[in-house]
Amino acid sequence: MAEMWINMGPQHPMTHGLWNLRIKVDGETIVDAEPEIGYLHRGIEKLCEDRTYTQIIPITDRLCYGASLSWSHLYCLTIEDLMGLEVPERAEYIRVAALEMQRIASHLMWLAAYAADLGAMIGFIYSMRDREVFIDLLQALTGSRLTYNFPRIGGVAHDVPPDWERDSFRACDYMERRLREYEDLYEGSKVFMMRNEGVGVLKKQDAMNLGVTGPSLRGSGVRYDIRKDTPYSVYPEMDFEAATHPDGDCYSRYRVRMDEMYQSCRIIRQAISKMPKGRWRILAPRNAPTATGVGRVEDPRGEGVMYVVGDGTDRPYRLKIRSPIFVTVSAAPKMLVGYKVADVVAIMGGLDMCIGETDR
Amino acid sequence: MADAGNGGEGRREGPGSPPGVASENPEEQIIRAILDAFPDAVTEFEKVKDGLVRAKLERRDLLKACTMLRDQLGFEHLSMISAVEYDSRFDIVYHIYSYQKRVLLELITQTPKDDPSVDSVSAVWRGANWQEREAFDLMGVKFNNHPKLERILLPKDYLYHPLRKDFKG
Repeated sequence: MAEMWINMGPQHPMTHGLWNLRIKVDGETIVDAEPEIGYLHRGIEKLCEDRTYTQIIPITDRLCYGASLSWSHLYCLTIEDLMGLEVPERAEYIRVAALEMQRIASHLMWLAAYAADLGAMIGFIYSMRDREVFIDLLQALTGSRLTYNFPRIGGVAHDVPPDWERDSFRACDYMERRLREYEDLYEGSKVFMMRNEGVGVLKKQDAMNLGVTGPSLRGSGVRYDIRKDTPYSVYPEMDFEAATHPDGDCYSRYRVRMDEMYQSCRIIRQAISKMPKGRWRILAPRNAPTATGVGRVEDPRGEGVMYVVGDGTDRPYRLKIRSPIFVTVSAAPKMLVGYKVADVVAIMGGLDMCIGETDR
Repeated sequence: MADAGNGGEGRREGPGSPPGVASENPEEQIIRAILDAFPDAVTEFEKVKDGLVRAKLERRDLLKACTMLRDQLGFEHLSMISAVEYDSRFDIVYHIYSYQKRVLLELITQTPKDDPSVDSVSAVWRGANWQEREAFDLMGVKFNNHPKLERILLPKDYLYHPLRKDFKG
């Protein structure tokens, strides 16, 4: 049969954001694929060169609307490395608790979109409803629902509000109950399992060589989690496990994210109960030294890295942002080739695309 | 290829160091291995802190060095490629990570402004492909022998490289 190129996107129910997946098909089988991105390029790295260090925090929030806190935290972490600042301990515990809430909220948004992609519309409604629980907690802490502008260079903006500990414990208990229900709902569904198992296999070697990180890497059987292996903040104090699954298919990636939500609940409980009293912010200098700083964190979607070059002024000379999905989506052809057109939705949905950070 | 799946917590010290010899930490091992292999090309090196090594390398040996880093020192993960513009040169900064040794290597190579080109490492780490395209797109650095060096974020007919300092929006 004659081969032909098909555009899936930029406006397509599968894309979740503005990007285009060109696939070359032979009948129903994919023989080649080529993601096209750039529709949402805002020049954030250039923007940052013209802002003071403090003014950049809300910009980094806009990198990913699904997990904005982890990006502004990464930015503050990088600048603290550049300036050589020591963050108060209480601030670190507040950050870790908030980051894990953000991770759950982000994974729930992924689960909502993924379930809807695979025809389980009820999954969308359930996940989005339960995500509100964590969005509410983050709103109580930071004052806003999606783009928080909460971490500061040298700490966090506020202390925790009254009763936040109690509400967080309740939310974790509730979430763990709900997660078990989700598992029954999806893994008991024959359709969901048929569309996931053995689809979009990414081997361990390929995943590492292609630079795939985060849940997609752990879904290929590599036990590597930056929170665990090169820990930052107070993650060494936390008792949790890096979730992995060996098969490298869509089900593996689904399973890893589900397990991570359980682990995040564990971390939230520990962070809140171990939280010491004290200050939550120190004043940072206005100007950074002529030096470089690197920050690496485990974003909900993979490895987020920032590299900053300071030139002695109050603005960064250069800020480079590594987006995990930018690299992961470049590995998409490896997962797509050989599968059917109908599998594209499951494979690309399982990567948790976020175009805001991909295009920057 | 090293198996990162065996990650127990107690494997901080260099694996396989002979008994009796004072075991070097992984950062020093890496610095020594790079220096042994490329004595002329490495111009600067230092252990910045635990888990972070910085090295400066002449651009002619970049591809050879990267192949060695992957095959012999276990640097399996190319994390990030950044291009930084200075007055008379571009710095291309490679952040390379070893899953086994848990060390991040910051490899800096310099290229003059009148000939901004380095060898592509996308044959070593396929994950470099798009990151090199991004550096080409936004900063105008050329990567020799890249499989498809085209603009990636900006339109194909765009005329400028907007991250350069002389580009004023």
